[in-house]
Amino acid sequence: MKHMRRVSWPILALALLLLAPLLVVVTAPLHSNSTEWSFVLHGLLPSHLKETGLLLVIAVALAVIFGTGSAWLVSAFRFPGRDLFRWALVLPLALPTYISAITFAALFGPTGSIRLALGLPFDIMNLPGLALVFALVLFPYVYLPARAAFSTGMAAHLDAARMLGGGAVRRFIRVAAPLARPAIAGGAFLVAMETLNDYGAVKYYGIHTLTAGIFRAWGGLYDVGSALRLSGLLLALVLLLVWSESRLRRRALHSTANHATERINLIGWKRIAASTGCGVLLFAGFLLPVGAIIMDAFRTADLPHLRIVIPALGNTLLVGTIAAALTLAVAIALAFSERHQRSRSRLVQWAGLGYAVPGAVIALGVMALAGWIGEQTGVVLIGTLGLLAYAFTVRFLALAGQPLRAGLAQQQRSLDESARLLGASPLRTFMRVNVPLLRPALMAAALLVLMEVVKELPLTMILRPFDFDTLSTRVFELARIEQWADAALPALLIVACGLVPVIVLDRLLERS
Amino acid sequence: MSRKWFWVMPLLVLACKAPQAKDEKVVNVYTHRHYETDKQLFSDFEQKTGIRVNVVMAEDDDLLSRLEAEGANSPADVIITADAGRLGLAAQRGFLKPERDSVLEANVPEHLRDPQGRWFGFTMRARVVAYDKNKVKPEELLTYNDLCSPRFKGQILVRPSEHVYNQSLVAAMIAHWGADSAQKWCEGIVANLAREPKGSDTDQLLAIGEGLGSVAIVNSYYIGKLMKSEDPARQKAKNAIAVALPLLQTANGGVMQTRWEIGTHVNISGGGVAAHAKHEKNAIELLRFLSSDASQAAFADGNMEYPVKPGIPASAILQGFGKLTPDTLDLSMLGKYNADAVKALTAAGWR
Repeated sequence: MKHMRRVSWPILALALLLLAPLLVVVTAPLHSNSTEWSFVLHGLLPSHLKETGLLLVIAVALAVIFGTGSAWLVSAFRFPGRDLFRWALVLPLALPTYISAITFAALFGPTGSIRLALGLPFDIMNLPGLALVFALVLFPYVYLPARAAFSTGMAAHLDAARMLGGGAVRRFIRVAAPLARPAIAGGAFLVAMETLNDYGAVKYYGIHTLTAGIFRAWGGLYDVGSALRLSGLLLALVLLLVWSESRLRRRALHSTANHATERINLIGWKRIAASTGCGVLLFAGFLLPVGAIIMDAFRTADLPHLRIVIPALGNTLLVGTIAAALTLAVAIALAFSERHQRSRSRLVQWAGLGYAVPGAVIALGVMALAGWIGEQTGVVLIGTLGLLAYAFTVRFLALAGQPLRAGLAQQQRSLDESARLLGASPLRTFMRVNVPLLRPALMAAALLVLMEVVKELPLTMILRPFDFDTLSTRVFELARIEQWADAALPALLIVACGLVPVIVLDRLLERS
Repeated sequence: MSRKWFWVMPLLVLACKAPQAKDEKVVNVYTHRHYETDKQLFSDFEQKTGIRVNVVMAEDDDLLSRLEAEGANSPADVIITADAGRLGLAAQRGFLKPERDSVLEANVPEHLRDPQGRWFGFTMRARVVAYDKNKVKPEELLTYNDLCSPRFKGQILVRPSEHVYNQSLVAAMIAHWGADSAQKWCEGIVANLAREPKGSDTDQLLAIGEGLGSVAIVNSYYIGKLMKSEDPARQKAKNAIAVALPLLQTANGGVMQTRWEIGTHVNISGGGVAAHAKHEKNAIELLRFLSSDASQAAFADGNMEYPVKPGIPASAILQGFGKLTPDTLDLSMLGKYNADAVKALTAAGWR
């Protein structure tokens, strides 16, 4: 079937369309002047690279420890609260990092209420503190796949290890963790992406990351050219991460045993330790910040406030639905190409890179592209929901692609071959055989995108139509004028919107 | 299967429909100001004139990039930012149209608007000093240079240099003193810091309340808002602080023969008519409205800003800080020297 290895031109065109905004960024040295580049290179870059590296290493390490540790506990053992923790540990994902960071600063910052009440000698508004905040919100990205890996597929290995006399810790370090490595690496990758593209939290905490550097060049030095060059550098860093993640995946051990891991009853202090460990994670990652937001929301909510927030909720869901539908359609098309045209085209793989790029930078690329089209054709795209949805697709395609690819990988090729032998075209095979079987993965993909769009700020703010407020722009408006308490109500709604997908997602992954 | 996806198509077509109103009773505004006061004023304007105000609110740099990408297709009629530097930049890149309007020229003093009429200031915000009145005497804080005195070692609170308010203060210093002296001033501040710069202006004020430092460099309207606040968590700071309006001197550092003070550093919020405005008359109408007595009073009382129109008083709280003598530096200098300010701040190690 040699002819099938060729990538069809519609797919290539689609991948190019998705990459175009990033190409604008990467090719910046060719088309944009950068007046302050030598200052950026020598004055900003060294310190910003150093702090990016530090923040990344600490946040990812903590998230891996939190996520893997808790996933191992709930998968391998029985202890009080285990059934609750099993799903509740996913909840922190509903919190946007910037909201969590601001809330933690209000509690544990220099003038934070809890810090003052307890007289703590330290505060959280520094680099390790921010890394901890990121890890507490983002660890479910590791927890979810790690839990799935620990729960199924490695029971035989674990049993063998146990019969050979390996203790629980040893089983974890020597058997479970290595087997789950690809899953953990995938989760760690997402944590790294989120850490790299954050701007709101690093700005507030005064941390010099690469993304902060991009905005310093753009807004402070008035040098968009340098900002684009820094974004290109950020992309290079991401490519490095993509590469190392695929290396970690490649040497994965595969297991065919599909029965569930047997859970062991913990006894004595270990029971208490396991419950406490999971409890602290759930409390710090979710209950505490959300509790603080709820208290502020009740204090500040009133009718005029609601009158603004309710339409914002509607807009949020509208744009989220459109974006999720478009992203899913694109992800399905690319998945089709990968499955039936066996395309290993780098272009298609790179189409998901937008996930790591700060939203504002993607907006620059998208606007440059739409502006050019406008110049050529007179069609005004900027300020339409369609362009906004396209921008979201560029940004979040990777999120939708991941579950689809994983789902497809589980389908035997013999399925496709049977359908083809019966005379179905590749497209028909895909639509009638593969896609229906993918339903849970499709649902997961759509929900992931929806959840991210609800939390997203910069793309929405820059590209939105006139008079189009969403929950996150509302939070921003109030946070910007330093009225955190008033921002609590829309922030709470963002969390609530995020909770639904998070919980459904958890259920879906459990079933698969 | 594919039939199931057809519902997406009308949704997308709907999504791409440009929301451009065909009737002429419209004015499209790109603004960086995100205050409830502005929203109220826009709705008052709609009531008064019957002209509908459509708003896109985003960061000023984002708005400039959007204008650049849109080019002649831009639907914007009015551009409003909260930084003179960005107004200058918008003018320089040709996003703003020169306007001669006698009403605007009468309402907005000459040094607060572009000589070519491309932009007009509507409010001033001063970069001032809040201090712990139990630890510091007002005569110790007459000038910005006093902040560098060894007297305040380990006492100064300020937000990161990332913020445009710090950048434009230093840009003003560069315009008056030159880059070297401005950098020396930044170094003096860094040497006196109570802690690494972090948080917002309000956070610096709260820190005074907790005794984490005794002097904070903040914007006037955040102090005004704090003083108005009923939030129990803010009362400690509210009771502890007093305000000084420091002056910029003509020269900095070393032996000062003459202490000739200039004025307190101010930045402005302002706006102008977009270069490709399709509703130019409405745009001017809106700008006039924002410079009118009623709007100026709303900016003063609702948002704690200094009004620009002569004869309109600042809010009672702001008047309590003392009489503001604004530095009358040509505001386009703030934009001109902003990049140099970022370099000076970076070189001085101001996070």
